[in-house]
Amino acid sequence: MAISFPSTEYFEALKAQMAANEEKFRRLGFIDTTFGVSVGVNGKARNFVLEFEVFDLKNVSEVPSIDLKKVDFQIEGDTRVWREMIENIRRNGEADSSHDINTLAHFGEQLKIVYDDPDGHDKLYRFMESIQEFFDLSSKLEVSFN
Amino acid sequence: MAYLSTTDFTQDKDFIDKWLYTIRTGEMDLSWMKSATEKISPEEANPRRGLTYRDLNVGTYGYTDIPEKVRNNRSYAPRGAEIPEGVPDAQPWVSRKSELWAFNTESYYEEAVSRQWNATTDIPWDRLDGVELPEVTGKALSQLMTFLTEVEMIATDTPAMWLPRLNPDFIEVRAFIAAQAMDEARHAEVFRKRALTTGWGLMQASPINEMALKHLRDADSFSEMSVALHLVAEGNVLTLFRFSEYLSPTDVDKKIFRLVMQDEARHVGYGMQHFKYVLEHFPEKREVLHAHLDEAENISFAGAAATELTEAFIILAGGGLKKENIEQGIKVTTQFNLKQMQEHFERLDKCGMPERRERSKLYKMYEMGRAAAENAGIKLN
Amino acid sequence: MAFYADKDYTVDETVLMAAQKVMEGNLGLHWYNAKTERIAGRPSDSKRGLTYQDLNVGSYGYTDIPEDVRTSQSMVSRGSEKVGKLPDMGYVVNRKSDVWSDNVAELYEEVKARRWVPATDIPWTELHTKPLPHDLEMACAQLYTFLQECQIVSMDFPSKWVALINQDFLELKSWMCAQMLDASRLFEVFRKRALFGGAGLGRASATAEQGLKEWLWADQFPQGSVSINLTLAGFLLTLYRQVGAFAPTNVDRKIMRYAMQDAARQTAYGLGQLRYHLNHRPLEANAIEGYLDHTEHALLGLIGSPELLEPMIIICGGGLEKAQVDKGRIATAKFVRLAVKEYMERIAAAGLTGHAKRSKIPAMIDRISAAA
Repeated sequence: MAISFPSTEYFEALKAQMAANEEKFRRLGFIDTTFGVSVGVNGKARNFVLEFEVFDLKNVSEVPSIDLKKVDFQIEGDTRVWREMIENIRRNGEADSSHDINTLAHFGEQLKIVYDDPDGHDKLYRFMESIQEFFDLSSKLEVSFN
Repeated sequence: MAYLSTTDFTQDKDFIDKWLYTIRTGEMDLSWMKSATEKISPEEANPRRGLTYRDLNVGTYGYTDIPEKVRNNRSYAPRGAEIPEGVPDAQPWVSRKSELWAFNTESYYEEAVSRQWNATTDIPWDRLDGVELPEVTGKALSQLMTFLTEVEMIATDTPAMWLPRLNPDFIEVRAFIAAQAMDEARHAEVFRKRALTTGWGLMQASPINEMALKHLRDADSFSEMSVALHLVAEGNVLTLFRFSEYLSPTDVDKKIFRLVMQDEARHVGYGMQHFKYVLEHFPEKREVLHAHLDEAENISFAGAAATELTEAFIILAGGGLKKENIEQGIKVTTQFNLKQMQEHFERLDKCGMPERRERSKLYKMYEMGRAAAENAGIKLN
Repeated sequence: MAFYADKDYTVDETVLMAAQKVMEGNLGLHWYNAKTERIAGRPSDSKRGLTYQDLNVGSYGYTDIPEDVRTSQSMVSRGSEKVGKLPDMGYVVNRKSDVWSDNVAELYEEVKARRWVPATDIPWTELHTKPLPHDLEMACAQLYTFLQECQIVSMDFPSKWVALINQDFLELKSWMCAQMLDASRLFEVFRKRALFGGAGLGRASATAEQGLKEWLWADQFPQGSVSINLTLAGFLLTLYRQVGAFAPTNVDRKIMRYAMQDAARQTAYGLGQLRYHLNHRPLEANAIEGYLDHTEHALLGLIGSPELLEPMIIICGGGLEKAQVDKGRIATAKFVRLAVKEYMERIAAAGLTGHAKRSKIPAMIDRISAAA
């Protein structure tokens, strides 16, 4: 059954996939960061906080708004961009060069990275390979878009 | 000590104007496209090994053809690049290949990168739960670990301090030294961690051994540093690791010593291959190295007075403090001491310095020690 | 420089007697009741393993290292009992606030956990199965030549200082060793990429190297660190992200993703160190501001060097056709603005909140943006 995006269930499904691919994430190393994902839907936003620890996604929660002081950084973007990214991942098995997180967010023109402390911002790049592989696990999910 | 660039770029109008012009018009100079550098077509010799430095040992980019005296690069330019006017002098101290080169340097480096391990996650620390060593064994183990933490941090500082003094053309040696510094940092870490898990913590410093460590660090040339560090000290430590693995009171300790042994053997391998290289290519250096070995062996011998280490080793080897334990411990420790010296001279022989035995006071001590051991019924393989 | 033992031990009776006494079974055990703290450390999280943070306890921990380390000049491991005549190793960096950062132990653990291998983790053969057009490959070769120069300097900085830093800062020194290997691995991957692509290396950059040497040769650690660990690493981080976003091949994209992880760790230390330094030595703010005023021109020497700027335009545009160059120069101007914006953000976050206003760099970047 398809999992709806955006939703807590989507991130929980990625979490389960991450646990199922533990060896791969172990090989990539510790990932210790908490970040927000904000998906714009019809002028409103649905916000999620993802807490990664050691090799796993420890916790995911949907929140009314994200306090930038409590996360390292936030990735925000319109649902259209997220959808394109996820569909691209599902087609290719992983994001192609135009749809990886770094490319989409680089100039803040599609996805945008917002943060309170540059040290938190830099954690996106410290753990980039794990974060990208995490989103690439969408290739293993059936995803529907509201 | 501070260096000032030949230009303050905020004041360099030509530089800034050119930059603005390029960005505004897209017109580029592109003179770098005509660099007088070699075009090559390297291949992976073994795809399972991936792309190695050996695969890139081609023409001006390779290491085989580095001249004995590097005269045309003293900058931060990578070997084989075109070097324009105006690059600064990196002030390398070592620009002579035989002062630092070793046969197979590139494969020691590739091996180091591929065999990195993690003292945090690759040691089964959880297995120490419920393990209660007898006090005497626990303290002896902690004392051994304390000594090793002293050794390993000097082993990071010593090669590392030479790294920026090496001409940037010696890419593979610099890379090996960087990897070695990391190896040694990991060794300092794993021995510290083990000491702090015994229930006793760290124990007592070893003044005699610290004197030896200072000798290792303060050498007059890279070759002398290498012979003292890679060949003598790490050779001795490699033997120590092998015996320590054999004597390990837990499988956690066995794992630790197996992993550090791999790294140490690599460092000794580099040391031997460099020693061979320098003796073959820089024969005038032989006497200098003999003189440095005189000092290194003197200090090795002084280690006999470091009873805080010898006693800990005897206890670990014998399994306790009872008379029969100590007798057994002395037997194994004697074998260990003699083995260290035997292997030291075997390495020197192998590298092309067989005459060392004639000159060395340590060798005479070894012969006496071996004869005494045999009289006492202690055999050495 | 050579250090000689204080005597010829091979003829020293005390050594022979000490050794003989022990080997006859008369153990003195002077070390047995060492006056040190007892501890049985264990991992707080078995999945993570036993970290330096788990052992940050009492006399063994790093939290309680004093600001001025006055009683340790030897190689004794922090927390051991010091006895006898220990050698003076000549450390010249003995103040915690000169080197420390609150994230040092975390970064050291992270760097080991996130290690990678250029020889085998990059799908090299894809470069040969899908070769790039000549101009684009030449641009890549030039870019990777430039990046090798940067990594030589990145490797030299920690190695130049590590032996001068007090042994009590063990976790910091270990982190610096990891930095050496990181820089070596980046140098390796950049060199392999340039040479395997078939275009060889390009031309070294006199302007970039002049700037790099000025930073590398700073006469105090905190100053050199802000230049190498924050300014240079932060700039390279943005550059890797830029090349990753415009990567001409999957190989380049993969290289840049690993490179940005390593650069971001280095930047995290650079920012953390400057922050710690200024928090504990607020009077040093003026000195650091003055140092930056004097040396940050070197950032222009790097960014504006034709050996970087021109290949970046070609890579970001995809070639040398006019439309490609137009696309490339605009993307490159954006990159320059982003790199400087993030640099100023980090400097401000570390405590120099007014620096962007007094710096000459932003005005220069405005001119670049206007030109684009």
